[in-house]
Amino acid sequence: MDALPRQAHCCVMELRQEKKALERPLVSVVDDDESVRESLPDLVKEFGFAVRTFSSPEEFLASDCVRQTKCLILDIAMPGMSGPDLQRELKLRGHGIPIIFITASTDKTVSPRLLEQGAIECLFKPFSDTALLDAVISALHPK
Amino acid sequence: MEVQPELASGEVKHLQRCINDLVSLLALPAIWSGGDPSQLLHTLLDALVRMLHLDLVSVRLTDPVDGAPVEIVRLADPRGPMPSAHEICEALSQCLKENSQKWPPLLRNLMGEGDVSIVPLPLGLQGELGVIVAAAERTDFPRQTEALLLSVAANQASIGLQEARLLSHQKRVSSELDQRVMQQTAELAAANEELKRELAERRFVEERLGQGERELKRSEVRKAAIVDSALDCIVTIDHEGCITEFNPAAEHTFGYRRDEVLGKPLADVIVPPSLREKHRQGFARYLATGEARVLGKRIELTAVRADGSEFPVELAITRIPLEGPPSFTGYLRDVTERKRAEQELRRSEAFLAEAQHLSRIGSFSWRVATDEITWSEQLYRIFEIDRNVQVTFELMGARIHREDLSVLREHIEQSRRERSNVQLEFRLQMPDGAVKYVHVAAHVRGDHGQLEYIGAVQDVTERRASEEALSKARSELSQVARVTSLGVLTASIAHEVNQPLSGIVTNAGTCLRMLAADPPNLDGARETARRTIRDGNRASEVITRLRALYIKKEAAIESVDLNEATREVIALSLSELQRGRVILRSELAQDLPLVTGDRVQLQQVVLNLLRNASDAMSTIDDRPRDLLIRTEPDDNDRVRLSVSDVGIGFEPQVAGKVFEAFYTTKDEGMGIGLSVSRSIIERHHGRLWATPNNGPGVTFSFSIPCRQEGLTSNGTHASRTPSVSDAA
Repeated sequence: MDALPRQAHCCVMELRQEKKALERPLVSVVDDDESVRESLPDLVKEFGFAVRTFSSPEEFLASDCVRQTKCLILDIAMPGMSGPDLQRELKLRGHGIPIIFITASTDKTVSPRLLEQGAIECLFKPFSDTALLDAVISALHPK
Repeated sequence: MEVQPELASGEVKHLQRCINDLVSLLALPAIWSGGDPSQLLHTLLDALVRMLHLDLVSVRLTDPVDGAPVEIVRLADPRGPMPSAHEICEALSQCLKENSQKWPPLLRNLMGEGDVSIVPLPLGLQGELGVIVAAAERTDFPRQTEALLLSVAANQASIGLQEARLLSHQKRVSSELDQRVMQQTAELAAANEELKRELAERRFVEERLGQGERELKRSEVRKAAIVDSALDCIVTIDHEGCITEFNPAAEHTFGYRRDEVLGKPLADVIVPPSLREKHRQGFARYLATGEARVLGKRIELTAVRADGSEFPVELAITRIPLEGPPSFTGYLRDVTERKRAEQELRRSEAFLAEAQHLSRIGSFSWRVATDEITWSEQLYRIFEIDRNVQVTFELMGARIHREDLSVLREHIEQSRRERSNVQLEFRLQMPDGAVKYVHVAAHVRGDHGQLEYIGAVQDVTERRASEEALSKARSELSQVARVTSLGVLTASIAHEVNQPLSGIVTNAGTCLRMLAADPPNLDGARETARRTIRDGNRASEVITRLRALYIKKEAAIESVDLNEATREVIALSLSELQRGRVILRSELAQDLPLVTGDRVQLQQVVLNLLRNASDAMSTIDDRPRDLLIRTEPDDNDRVRLSVSDVGIGFEPQVAGKVFEAFYTTKDEGMGIGLSVSRSIIERHHGRLWATPNNGPGVTFSFSIPCRQEGLTSNGTHASRTPSVSDAA
């Protein structure tokens, strides 16, 4: 916990207090890589959020979580529908869910295009837990 | 009378002497004959002084025949300084005129104070010739005999003078006559010359006239021959517009016989009905006003044949320069063929221009001796130069890309020196900075001095662009192919490795958070730690899989001609090298022994070395990008191949490092090529190494044995092949 900046730590505390009063916000993870689907939910839960994982965008769209999802952690490159495809689809359907892209690619040029399309953040794997926490917080509390 | 004997004898002597003197005097004219008066008088006076013992005698000719008056004086015994004859004569004549006996002082000074008797003797009947004055200091002077002698002497002198005068007159007359004769002779001679010249001129003129006549005749014959044999129709008309001449060409062209049309109005014969009225009006206007619209000009109009068919003619009419009523000659030429040819030409020119426009090919000609350059319209368009500008090499130079200018100049100078067809490609740079690629092909014509190049310039910018895109795609593809076949694409390595790494980092982070929670979630922490280990193993597996990928290839062992294999690689990469402006030189040893090995793998090594050399020189602009590839037999039954570049090179201390996987000096390089190359060479029991050149650049060499003692199988070799860094 020492590695966390003080500000982030305070936020966690605040959120923990909030969760007592309110239902915990739902963070959904869409990634075709199993190790991500295994490891990421535990971390997000540790942040104090509810979490659901999906192996593909199609699976996410078919689920009943779309309306409740407050933040979407989305892989870019996946077989079938890609992360940006899902971003476009959600926009078309009128769901303004804040999106945090994650990718194993080293191509940094994709990031600005995605941010332009409204993404909160684009994280390159491997990323630190604090980088993810900062991104989730800015997704839930837009300035 | 009583005569004393002494006296008598004296008297006799005196008389005798007197007679002698008389004879002498009478003989004088014989001496005088032919002499002039002054000579005559000199002898006379000398004789008188001697005969008569005179003290003074003078003569003055009052009317001398020619020139100055003659005044001569003789003094027997001058007693003082002698005055001039003229003064003496003046004094004497004065004294005679005044008839005074007074002796003038001048004479007194000369002859003393005594009495002097003076006898004047007029010359001529009335003294018109002059006077002789004789004087003596004797009272008895003149005695009778003396007076006789004096008068005889005066007579003789008068006669002699008259004769001399006559003679002199005659001489003068004869000389005058001579002169006149001479003058007239000269005049006659001149007149004769004049006559001769006139005669010659007349003859000349007559000859000329004859010649002129002959020439006139000849010229008429010649003209008739010209008119008859002329290819053009020649028709002459008189002032009424009627035909007076109709030559064979006209007969042939219009289909009339000469005798059919002579005397007929021209308008009715060869002018189409629609134009007849206009022709008549124009002719009438000319006759009335002298205003000509067609004379002396070359005009094109329509004429009609005997069969009524109309055709285009070119016509020139001149007025025949003779006096009298005007007459005209018309020269007509059937231009049907020419018009058709012109139209054809225009059409084919239009075709050509269109074709050049469409194909973006311009054409040019260059006369070497004069540097006269002609461009087609399309070429102006390619160069983006105003069509009205005269093309020069300077003008062209302004459009040539700076980097290609020197090469192009060299080509031009070479073409100037030797006859050789040209084939080259260079770049143009437009004022807006746009770059065009052009391909030039030119053929040489003519001999030295008349050398001319005719060629085509094609704008290959688009082709070049697509070629470049294609080649880029090809190189990307080949790179991908190379990478995938070897399994070492950095991006894919990264992706493959990043996935498990991401899991490790996330799990480790979660684990820490779980342990830090209050109370610590130990089960959760244990689970995430377990997953961290699993992901670590996964990452390791990825690396192992990648390694296995690029050593998995089956080696095909055969006898390989390394020269042949090298030539194939050169042929494959030539265009790529050219694009990189690399000047490739190959020195392939003859009789190079064959090697045993995997031909494709060895070719991959050669290709890799060439590519690396080319890449190392891509930023070199201050020297030619020379690349040398050579093969040679090496010691111990080996064959060596080396590739030298003049590129950026590397520091000697990294010479080994360049063979390590992922080491690269290139911005976009993968760094895998050399390490793979080394593993291939090592599998052939050979050695691959690099040495910095003395000059710029590096030489990469490999040396492999010719005979392979059982090439190591892939399986057993797999463990050592990737350990490329061992060899460094």
